[in-house]
Amino acid sequence: MIQFSDVGFQYDEGLWALKNISFQAGKSELVGVLGPNGSGKTTLLKLGNGLLRPRQGEVLLEGKSIDSYSRIQIAREVAMVPQQTHFHFTFSVLEVVLMGRFPYLKRFEFEGERDVEIARRALETTHSIEFASRPIDELSGGERQRVLIARALAQEPSVMLLDEPTAFLDLKFKKEIFELISSLVRANAIAAVVVSHDIELAAKYCDRIIMLKEGEIVFVGKPHEVLTCESVEYVYECSVVVDENPVTGAPRVSVV
Amino acid sequence: MEVKLQKGPLTARRVIGISLILMVALGAAILISLVCGTAKISFVDVFRVFSDSSHVRESTKLIVLRIRLPRVILAGLAGFTLSLGGLVFQALLRNPLADPFVLGVSSGAAFGAVIAIILGFSFGYGVPLFAFLGAIITIYLVLAISKRAMGVESSTAILAGVIVNAFFTAIIMFFIATSTEDRLHSMLFWLYGDLSQSRISYSVMTAPVAIAGFFLLYSFSRHLNLLAAGEESALHLGVNVERARLVCFLAVSLMVGVAVSFTGLIGFVGLIVPHLARMLLGSDNRLLMPVSALGGALFLIAADTAARTVMSPSELPVGVVTAFLGAPFFIYLLKTRGSRWTQ
Repeated sequence: MIQFSDVGFQYDEGLWALKNISFQAGKSELVGVLGPNGSGKTTLLKLGNGLLRPRQGEVLLEGKSIDSYSRIQIAREVAMVPQQTHFHFTFSVLEVVLMGRFPYLKRFEFEGERDVEIARRALETTHSIEFASRPIDELSGGERQRVLIARALAQEPSVMLLDEPTAFLDLKFKKEIFELISSLVRANAIAAVVVSHDIELAAKYCDRIIMLKEGEIVFVGKPHEVLTCESVEYVYECSVVVDENPVTGAPRVSVV
Repeated sequence: MEVKLQKGPLTARRVIGISLILMVALGAAILISLVCGTAKISFVDVFRVFSDSSHVRESTKLIVLRIRLPRVILAGLAGFTLSLGGLVFQALLRNPLADPFVLGVSSGAAFGAVIAIILGFSFGYGVPLFAFLGAIITIYLVLAISKRAMGVESSTAILAGVIVNAFFTAIIMFFIATSTEDRLHSMLFWLYGDLSQSRISYSVMTAPVAIAGFFLLYSFSRHLNLLAAGEESALHLGVNVERARLVCFLAVSLMVGVAVSFTGLIGFVGLIVPHLARMLLGSDNRLLMPVSALGGALFLIAADTAARTVMSPSELPVGVVTAFLGAPFFIYLLKTRGSRWTQ
């Protein structure tokens, strides 16, 4: 479980990048964070994995302040799936997933059977086992994103933070990734926070939606409660129509 | 249904196995190198020098033990250090063009060494210490120049290295040109590495630093793997990036400083060897570190043997040989991989 308790953050003296942020993501819960560019979404994730320290309030992991965790301890609890990762040297998919075991290995230790088994399961869960021995940089965007999710799973985290994991993918892969995240969050009892610009997919798969504007939470709740014409227009400053998807019943946002 | 993995991960056994093979090859190279030279000395003579030296002529013993052996050992240690240094710099900067010579660290060390000699600190560890300080200052300069808000930009670091390199080389040339100091005059090797002045005491000073440095760097080999996807990605996985970077830069500066203070500037070793190792064995630094270090030793021993035999009886500085091979190699890397790797 990850909990933000009245968190505020400013990069320099002056403007608050985030203020009065309070929410939590519990076990098996997928929380979507929506908001325009510059609304503080990425900052929120950085606070969530301790890369930034809040100026106000605190972030709690499993009920304990994140300040009491070391970098390694955080990596055992919180896994991060980035937007897009470029590897500057050629590593195989298996090697990349095994990197997720870093926080569990001693200094001169090599990955043992257990680590390989965990990596294998992560690859299976993410349907990427068939390219385990291929170089990561030869994969398509969608495949690579699945591998990065597998790496996050190999960390055996209780919390997963995802920073626009579908940003550079086409429609099919976007759906696939959201489906995958939603199923593994439930299967592994992970608390997940996903930042996204894909409003409709977030609406379909997330349990709760948080809408950020200028560093503050302006709406929070179940997708169909939060995603209304008024809220989306207010947050994104753009005229929209929100209706119901005739097939899934999830809120559908169209620009007008 | 259980799907099996085709290929397992890297194991300690594989690392040790490949290292042992390279050590045997290194032993063979040392032996061959002791046989090669202007004076005709056979394998049998070399064996006898080390087994029952009573049956060998004094002059043979002198050539093998006093002239060739110190030189071969120092070449090995310098190759070990420079190649490992190149590998570590490449991992830290995520750029295969980085190496102690290209980044100007070697010439910074040479500058420090020259200053030590001019100030009269040329006893014991005086010169290596100044060389270390020179190397540190250079690294600091290069990183400060290339530092951006989101960490160090590697292509700028390479460019900064080239500039710093030119600057320090010019200062060294200035000192050599204006100095009345005999030792400087006779030692143009600050500018192009030369191993002909090797003494066994140099190796005795270099070896502990090289070996301790290796194990220290090896303890960060997995950290360096994780840096391949960027510093933030490594932080997410639990790497203390600041500390890893600081320790690695300091360790390489120390190792290179000490080696350069005895050998002068030998370029491109750290570019060629790690790259070949990576082509053959992949990018895992836990395997690449011993392979690059031992391979670097092998490479420089071979290069120095060539340097003192191809034009026999006259000799070339070994830096000429490595530059002759390295500069085209650098261009090849720039052409084929540069666009993909220098971001």
